[in-house]
Amino acid sequence: MLPTSLDEAVEALAASPAAVPVAGGTDLMEAVNAGRLRPAALIGLGRITELRGWRYEDGGTAVLGAGLTLARMDRPDFAALIPALADAARTAGPPQTRNVGTLGGNIATAAPAGDTLPVLAALEASVTLARPGVTREVPVSHLLTGLDPMRPGELLTWVRVPLLNAPQVFLKATGRSGPSRATASVALVLDPARRAVRCAVGAVAPVPLRPLEAEAWVAGCIDWDARGEEGVPAIDPAAAAAFGEYVASACVPDGYGGDAASGLPAEGPTAEALRLRRTVAVLARRALGRALK
Amino acid sequence: MTSPTDTTLAPPDAAAESSSPEDAQSPSGPAQPFGLGSSPLRTDALPKALGIYPFAADLWAEGLLWGAVLRSPHPHARIVAIDTAAALAIPGVHAVVTAADLPAGPQSADGSAEEARGPVGDRPVLAAGVVRHHGEPVAAVAADHPDTARLAAASIVVEYEVLDALTDPEQAFHAPPLHPDGNLFRHLPLRSGDPEVVGEVIVEGLYQVGRQDPAPIGAEAGLAVPRPDGGVELHLSSTDPHGDRERTAACLGLEPDRVRLVVTGVPGATADREDLSFQVTLALLALRTGRPVKMTLTREESFQSHATRHPALLRYRHHADAQGKLLKVEAQILLDGGAYADVSAEALAAATAFSVGPYVCPNVFVDAWAVRTNNPPAGRMRGEGALQTCFAYESQLDQLAARIGVEPLEIRRRNVLATGDAMPTGQAVTCPAPVAALLDAVATSPLPALPMDEPDTDWLLPGGPGGAGDPSAVRRGIGYAVGMVHMLGAEGEDEVSTATVRVSGDHATVICAAVDSGQGFATLARQIVQSVLGVAEVYVAPVDSDQSIAGPSARGRHTWVSGGAVERAALMVRHQLLQPIAANFGMSVELLSIADGKITSYDGVLGMPVTEALEGKELWATAQCRPHPTEPLDEAGQGDAFVSIAFCAMRAVVDVDIELGAVRVVDVTVAQDVGRALNPGQIEDRIEAGVAQGVGLALLEDLRTSGGLLVNPSLTGYRLPTALDTPDVRIAALLEERDVVATFGAKAVSAVPAVVAPAAIAAAVRAATGLPVGRLPIQPEDAVVA
Repeated sequence: MLPTSLDEAVEALAASPAAVPVAGGTDLMEAVNAGRLRPAALIGLGRITELRGWRYEDGGTAVLGAGLTLARMDRPDFAALIPALADAARTAGPPQTRNVGTLGGNIATAAPAGDTLPVLAALEASVTLARPGVTREVPVSHLLTGLDPMRPGELLTWVRVPLLNAPQVFLKATGRSGPSRATASVALVLDPARRAVRCAVGAVAPVPLRPLEAEAWVAGCIDWDARGEEGVPAIDPAAAAAFGEYVASACVPDGYGGDAASGLPAEGPTAEALRLRRTVAVLARRALGRALK
Repeated sequence: MTSPTDTTLAPPDAAAESSSPEDAQSPSGPAQPFGLGSSPLRTDALPKALGIYPFAADLWAEGLLWGAVLRSPHPHARIVAIDTAAALAIPGVHAVVTAADLPAGPQSADGSAEEARGPVGDRPVLAAGVVRHHGEPVAAVAADHPDTARLAAASIVVEYEVLDALTDPEQAFHAPPLHPDGNLFRHLPLRSGDPEVVGEVIVEGLYQVGRQDPAPIGAEAGLAVPRPDGGVELHLSSTDPHGDRERTAACLGLEPDRVRLVVTGVPGATADREDLSFQVTLALLALRTGRPVKMTLTREESFQSHATRHPALLRYRHHADAQGKLLKVEAQILLDGGAYADVSAEALAAATAFSVGPYVCPNVFVDAWAVRTNNPPAGRMRGEGALQTCFAYESQLDQLAARIGVEPLEIRRRNVLATGDAMPTGQAVTCPAPVAALLDAVATSPLPALPMDEPDTDWLLPGGPGGAGDPSAVRRGIGYAVGMVHMLGAEGEDEVSTATVRVSGDHATVICAAVDSGQGFATLARQIVQSVLGVAEVYVAPVDSDQSIAGPSARGRHTWVSGGAVERAALMVRHQLLQPIAANFGMSVELLSIADGKITSYDGVLGMPVTEALEGKELWATAQCRPHPTEPLDEAGQGDAFVSIAFCAMRAVVDVDIELGAVRVVDVTVAQDVGRALNPGQIEDRIEAGVAQGVGLALLEDLRTSGGLLVNPSLTGYRLPTALDTPDVRIAALLEERDVVATFGAKAVSAVPAVVAPAAIAAAVRAATGLPVGRLPIQPEDAVVA
């Protein structure tokens, strides 16, 4: 099925709830080709042009179409709007993947290493889920954690992102220079209006994690008035380093990578947990440093 | 020929077209480079770049069936029963075969009293009784649609009794035998000199090399067509057509001449291509159904089925005097050969003989083992054996340099091997060994610019564009390495190749069963004939096993062996051509020369164009080339086991983010001993390819297993280097010191860059971080400075 409008797609999905909507297909089609998935039917979303752009809404919110491609998000106009999302899109894969992969697909697939997910979590974005005649708004984090999952027949249509007009950073650690899956990623956004820092760590857990206490603590360490001034550090480097450690220990449990099945109480953090913590700490520290530069 | 395939198969015809001279010359016109020493474009370069080159996966035959293979989900299990009824009941399924359908004989590896296995080795085509590695083929299906075939393969019910998997090669010595042949493929001791010597300085190290996969971009594919005479014709991207024919025939119980192997376009081969199981299964399905059968493996199957590089564990102790001159090297080398023997014994010989590297050391004591485990089988792959030890001995020299406080370059200069020196095997290096000159060439080559001298935007940080790199945490390191690899078969293997050259009218044809696996042999053969006969248009015929034997495309042998055969055949044709002219001119043939398309007498007075001399003639000649014989290594690892050796020196420059452990190779500068540059353009390509593969092994590529099960058999999980990961490769020098016994004095060029690059990159990371770096691939945590 190849609906050409959003309404048509929503109707089509309602008519055959077993059908699977497909946008870029970079994850879905791989699963189909490998025989892991045999969808009863596919609903191609590629022709719904209205979902491929974005618009502004009152109250400083951008409403992004679920069909927005990763490549489009990397363009300068979008990058000026939501820089962290652009950064995440740029590193999400090779050009072939970014040209077809979509924001909505990234959310729907909800892969642990999905690059846009920590950014959406840090931005406290929400998504619109549509059924014929009914739409509802769900925070991205609720959707990802399963607190409020997608229901059968629902189509992910829009992503609402608050515009903060402040520095935001997405950093990702990979083992290589070429495009690769993240071993850990950190999204960090400043919200100067509320004097808040929001941070999310991706790829270390099935869903992006928010170190809320570390966020609150570091917000108090930042000299918000000095921010952006030449020569005045907005934060003590030691505090930035401590923030990194704080984020890392909040997001990487002691038993990470250990043998959970053995049931033995872990004696201190595993070697893998220590390695990952170091990586997350470095990423969080650098992200904060860049945001405050 | 009554075979219907001649008209219905596209690729052999298309391949012929693509390598025809018209195609090759149309883009560049009359200015096409000519003869040896020039760099003509490969004839298949343009079709490959345009995506119109036909590979084995593009084959088609009327009425073909599709094959699929059922593979073992366990690394080690006993097969209790196989029930194929459900698969056979699926409409569209034409045949299901298991080990029981193969003629009893060499491939039934389960029996206790085994006869000599001949060409087949210890590997069953389809598992008989026992599976010994994850992904081992158990049964195969032919059906009228690929999906039906896969579905049918999946519905074969195999009852396994899962056995403990032996995955640690160190346990192989004591574990119960996995195979009637035992767990030890080979133990090779090397004893040379005085074991009592103790150096003033002693450095020790333990080194690990991971499992690199050749990961050919074109996965295995092929087509089998039954012949009216009861034989079978296989269309495969084989790199050893005659060997594959012999083995396939032996497994099927056919006479070798009933099996014909047609080589289709080879989509990249840095190792052996299609394994035995693949082609025999394909042939068996075709014979069973009486219809053409095509099979293409998925990427996952491809990772499961072809041989990988030998993972290695190497323990070294170097003794030196206070000046750093090597006195004694002790080493223990353990290669994990995986489930089947393949070429493990050969890889082990290279590992042992080159355990000290291109250095002189009077006392060498090595014990090397290749063992069987339930891990994926390891086999041939550029510089097998030599690569693993290169990483170890170069790491040891870096350690030694640090210990006695000299530059890494200096410690190498004090110990380098030169022509005439003896290797630990007792063999004198009679070929040119310009190791010191190679080191000088890379050492004096200018270094790449420092990032601070470049605009910020041009600086690609470790971690890649848009990555997490931070300039304040980046350290630059420079590392050097030299290495060596042997050419041609070793230890008494009979090396021979045959070629036929035909000249008719104004063009020549080369018929030689040497497969151009990407190494450029077809281009070289063209250049040789151009040089010898002065004929511009040279057509290199597609390869099949009805041609005379040329041997496998491996170990850099074709330039020497097949190149030599082509040259001799061309010279014989030249003699036939010149003899009547010489008689006419009243002088001997030796006084005539061919240059620029003209035959000229020694004094330049008499002459005629080659085309005129050839008019109306058709001249043929066939010749063989067989290099000097070698001998096996004895029980003390002594013997003249190698025909010739190639050397290479590299300098790697890396940037390391010392907080995240991300490494980016900025630049690799290469100086290589090439004997004679027959095609400089192609040599540079081969060096770049070798460096790229070396970067992969050094930083990225590792086919991991967990309890014998493959963890990352996909191109997402198995990370091949991309353009962003590969460095600038600069050639500091192609040293042309001719090897007098080699054809044209040239040495093989492909393997040695792949052997040296990982060691050079490891040395550079060591220099940047000050950490020991004892394993390949280098993991981020190995490069984090705490």
